[in-house]
Amino acid sequence: MKPAPTLSSAFLHPAGQTLPEPLLALRKQRASALVDMPLPTRKTENWKYSSKYLNLSDDMAISLPAEGKAGTSLAIPGYKVVFTNGVMIPEASEYPDMEGIFIQSFSDLNDAEAQALSQKLGGTLNHEQAQFARVNGARFEDGLLIHLKPGAVLDQPLFIIHNTAADSSGSAYPRIYVDAGANSQMTLVEEYTSNGEASVLVNTVTEFNLADGARITSVRLNMEGEQVQHIGATGVLQAQSSRFESHCVGFGGQLRRHDLQVRLEGEGAETKLNGVVVTQGKQHYDNHTSIDHVAANCNSEETYRNIAADQSHAIFNGRIHIHQDAQKSNADMNNKNLLLNNGAEIDTKPELEIYADDVKCAHGATIGQLDETSLFYLVSRGIGRREANVLLTMAFINELVSQIPVQAVRETAQLRLNDFFEQTFQEI
Amino acid sequence: MLSIKNLHASVEGKEILKGINLEIKAGEVHAIMGPNGSGKSTLSQVLAGNEAFEITGGEVTLNGDNLLDLATEERAREGIFLAFQYPVEIPGVSNLQFLRTAVNAMRKHRGEEEMNAAEFMKLAKEVSKQVDLDPAFLKRGVNEGFSGGEKKRNEIMQALLLQPKLAILDETDSGLDIDALQVVSNGVNALRAEDRAILMVTHYQRLLNHIVPDYVHVLAGGKIVKSGGRELALELEERGYGWLGIKDEDTSN
Repeated sequence: MKPAPTLSSAFLHPAGQTLPEPLLALRKQRASALVDMPLPTRKTENWKYSSKYLNLSDDMAISLPAEGKAGTSLAIPGYKVVFTNGVMIPEASEYPDMEGIFIQSFSDLNDAEAQALSQKLGGTLNHEQAQFARVNGARFEDGLLIHLKPGAVLDQPLFIIHNTAADSSGSAYPRIYVDAGANSQMTLVEEYTSNGEASVLVNTVTEFNLADGARITSVRLNMEGEQVQHIGATGVLQAQSSRFESHCVGFGGQLRRHDLQVRLEGEGAETKLNGVVVTQGKQHYDNHTSIDHVAANCNSEETYRNIAADQSHAIFNGRIHIHQDAQKSNADMNNKNLLLNNGAEIDTKPELEIYADDVKCAHGATIGQLDETSLFYLVSRGIGRREANVLLTMAFINELVSQIPVQAVRETAQLRLNDFFEQTFQEI
Repeated sequence: MLSIKNLHASVEGKEILKGINLEIKAGEVHAIMGPNGSGKSTLSQVLAGNEAFEITGGEVTLNGDNLLDLATEERAREGIFLAFQYPVEIPGVSNLQFLRTAVNAMRKHRGEEEMNAAEFMKLAKEVSKQVDLDPAFLKRGVNEGFSGGEKKRNEIMQALLLQPKLAILDETDSGLDIDALQVVSNGVNALRAEDRAILMVTHYQRLLNHIVPDYVHVLAGGKIVKSGGRELALELEERGYGWLGIKDEDTSN
């Protein structure tokens, strides 16, 4: 039998040394734990559809230099922090200056702050399920720490632009940690974007730690180029009565993978996860979500929609785990999928594990095509076939797009969707 | 305006229309009546261009042009309008967006300038009043959560906006209470014009009390078995379809 493939040792050597000592030490420790890390294969359940698109050759292990053109597709009205290849670019960034809100790049932390962070970093994630978050933990060159003091409310969204300058092969490891104090509030927008044509790996980790009553809205927009392998993980810990709301919008590429893990650890916590994925050509997009109802009386509501055209492939895997003590849990998961061509593929899998007996847990998944009756109705009013197709496809995700609470993101998503329609539906 | 000659059509291999002949001139209002399953709705759908039906013979011309060669959207642009018996609900597309897209598709076809959002909003609000539909409906998804009567009023609103040459009304009276019937009938009567024809397909004659037809045809077994004036509808109401030799258990008003 062929030995199981393991991560090349080339990945164990981070380049940047500008981090404070406690974080360097953490990174080193995490790297040593990566030796002989098994790589997922098609027999690995949580990677079975996506492992074949992984390219983790040695040249992919090279840290991309923190230079190159930075860009964004968003019309950003206010606060922003710009990263190129995982390293913050201070001159391109504009921080809020508000009491109770601390935003710092990891490399600017003093030793005590870095020490405190190193105790928490990675703590929101189950690394068994998000294997590649471990690689990020050993490789991050920089990162952003957002610390909201209790009661602090950020007055407008903070945009974090993670730009990958793909001028040569290599990898980048964006990292964000949000420490939201009791009753604090903010909206965070992460955009992942790229320029350059080289094959690259972007391996991200974003963590949200919500104290009692904190309210965080997270918007994640994936706009990277076709040749980018994006493997991202988001971990969320929620204390009592906190509320987390996530809006993920992703356009496909060679490999897109996002793991979103939420743990409802305090009573009365609420989480709402929305996701839209659009793929075309030979693109691939794999969303794995996981919600752990650990405490009683928590609500979760999850709605994901995939649209796959041409020969593309979209995957949704939604896990809900209701722990034994999580009585009166209320969980609702819904995944609808639209196949626009016969050659496209969508795989959806709800996974429910329920160990409490007094819970409400609903799930639904559908895969379908555009409705012929609706199409006939539209064209019978003189609307062209192409436009009718666009209207109906847009209708499929409108509900989710219109819920994105940041106008700049809605606009960018709409423009990108228009391109998609342009390429997918020919005038008939 | 519309000329149907020996039209045959089938669905899933079953022949429904078995040789329809009908001439409709501009300015005329025709009613097609008949029992359930006689082919009334099939005729409406075939004229509008529903591809689920296969044309197996005959011809249909609109102002001399072959209608059957045209795609559904081209027929609409040439002036065919079908008010659906069961209007489709399309959540996610707002009624306003739908109506404006349709109106602009027509305008573009006629070489007219497209209407911008503000212009259209003004027009749509006016027309919605005409069919007694709260303008709030414009913001909702197409027919989404509308009652039966609201859907029918929305159909008539579309006809008023699109100003077709031939409006086909498929069981537009079904599911309407007496007030809604009055509103819908007023809308249809507002459509009557010298350069426009109306074809009403209905099971019952009560609609014809409100929209008085010039001609009445009885469709049975996929053929028109009798034609006459307005008085034919009254006779049908009185005597049912039986005297024409048509079996119709369902037609007990």
